[in-house]
Amino acid sequence: MTRRELIRTGLLALIAAPFASLFRKREETGTGYFWQIDPDKCVQCGKCETECILAQSAVKCVHQYASCGYCLFCSGYYQDKRIEFNTAGENMRCPTDAIIRTYVEDPYFEYKIDEEKCIGCGKCVKGCLAFGNGSLFLQVRRDLCRNCNECRIAKVCPADAFVRVPADRPYIYRKPPEVKS
Amino acid sequence: MTRLPLILAAQARFPAPEFESYTLPQMTLEELASDTVLWRVLILAVFLAAGALCFYKWRSRKAMLAYSLAGLAVFGFVFASCPCPVGMFQNIAQGVADGSYIPPGVLLLFALPLAASLFLGRIFCGGACPLGAIQELLHWKSIFVPRPLDRILRMIPVLLLMIFTVCAIFGIGFPLCYLEPYLPVFLLDFATPFAILSAVFLLVGLFVSRPFCRYVCPYGVLLRFFSLFSLLNPRITTQECVNCRLCEQGCPNGAVLPPENAGTAAQHRTGSRRISLLAACIPFALFAGGLLGYFGAPVLSSFHRDVRLQNELDAGIRSEAVEAFESSETTAAELRSRVVKLQNGILLASTAAGVIFGALVMAELIAEARRRKEEDVYSIDASLCFCCGRCYAACPLERKEKHHEK
Repeated sequence: MTRRELIRTGLLALIAAPFASLFRKREETGTGYFWQIDPDKCVQCGKCETECILAQSAVKCVHQYASCGYCLFCSGYYQDKRIEFNTAGENMRCPTDAIIRTYVEDPYFEYKIDEEKCIGCGKCVKGCLAFGNGSLFLQVRRDLCRNCNECRIAKVCPADAFVRVPADRPYIYRKPPEVKS
Repeated sequence: MTRLPLILAAQARFPAPEFESYTLPQMTLEELASDTVLWRVLILAVFLAAGALCFYKWRSRKAMLAYSLAGLAVFGFVFASCPCPVGMFQNIAQGVADGSYIPPGVLLLFALPLAASLFLGRIFCGGACPLGAIQELLHWKSIFVPRPLDRILRMIPVLLLMIFTVCAIFGIGFPLCYLEPYLPVFLLDFATPFAILSAVFLLVGLFVSRPFCRYVCPYGVLLRFFSLFSLLNPRITTQECVNCRLCEQGCPNGAVLPPENAGTAAQHRTGSRRISLLAACIPFALFAGGLLGYFGAPVLSSFHRDVRLQNELDAGIRSEAVEAFESSETTAAELRSRVVKLQNGILLASTAAGVIFGALVMAELIAEARRRKEEDVYSIDASLCFCCGRCYAACPLERKEKHHEK
């Protein structure tokens, strides 16, 4: 074996060394590779809308129906300073009219996010959290996210709400309310 | 007030109604998950093999251009460049430092080009790297960087490697990925402030060959070191060199080495004196590097999220981060102790990195000053060669052979 070969083998071993970490036991909450928002940490600052490298942010609002109260008056849907309870622009919380309200049965309404329109500003999330159940929250959409190694939103997130999640659990849900039996 | 009880309380506000004929819509988020990292690794392996074929077997500039074009299209535009092997050393450094899980895709992306460089030289830089490919293709007229200036500028990537590794280890972030100059091009989005950086690099790249690869890329430092021990080395011509110098003039990266003669006794004397002078300078270089690291540490740590938050708290600024911190469960004392620990760690690591940088500068200078092996033909310094194939196209012997083959 020449000196060059010896060095080459040594360097190959050096490259292979980090692979040893694959044999380590992965913890339950082990970090992964995909960016996600921890809804419990999020403070709805609105940076998700503007800081993403994509022209339209990969962060969108998600509705967890299981924890929604289906309220007649939804504080995620209506603006605080609304004039009347109707769908006129000045009464709505969502700046892009991305929340679709449908009548279910008296006095309940279903609220659905129109994902084409949602820009991830988090205004409805803030509204829902202020008065309602917190069933609306922001998530990084895995089908849109480019998964940049250094997420530009994570860099400026004031609440440090961006975490890395493993590929098999790419979304973080809010704990749904306990179902009474 | 902490945040968590607030949410739990919020959930009890409006209990879910019991509907008669309405089923809850299912959340279909999971169906939207996609993981392309391992695909990327597989395609990268194919690319490296194809590049080796183009460069070592067909020995053709045109084939290497096609290789760059394919690399730019696939890794640049289809996969939008990120994540790419260039930034992966930061993930590895962070993973090794804080013991967190490093996914196999990340490990492979980091290791594959390095392993390839041990056998094939810097074939990755040639075109499988989208950053290299875009610079290769958008190069018009070469302005040759004078050799001494080239040597000085070439130490920048080494310094950046040190700084970025320290940043990754202490969780300051991945500055290389943040400041990646070609990302707006790959995303075709020029409305960001980073587009100015891409414009500067693209403009310089028109005249200076591969400005990012040669004078910025920290991963290139690793590839350069590894390719010193490469199994295959590029040869300008398989025939007997006629010393026409065309290859040296054709290489915009300064990787072609002119023939080395035996040298006169006087030259030997000045040479050995220069080396002993350099050797005497080593302690000073180490000390200067250490000082640089020591005084650079506060600047580095000021970029860390926790340190910045602590500074804002101390200065009484009501920023969003301060408000978010106050509604979180972390206490001020916890933050304070974490910040102090961080600052001490960064100070130590930064000083050590400075000393290592000093040592590497001296190693480079001594390697430059020492006598090369006597040779009467033009040869390629594999560690600086980006496998572009320009020398094949410039060599008249190669051209003649290609002509005969046809």
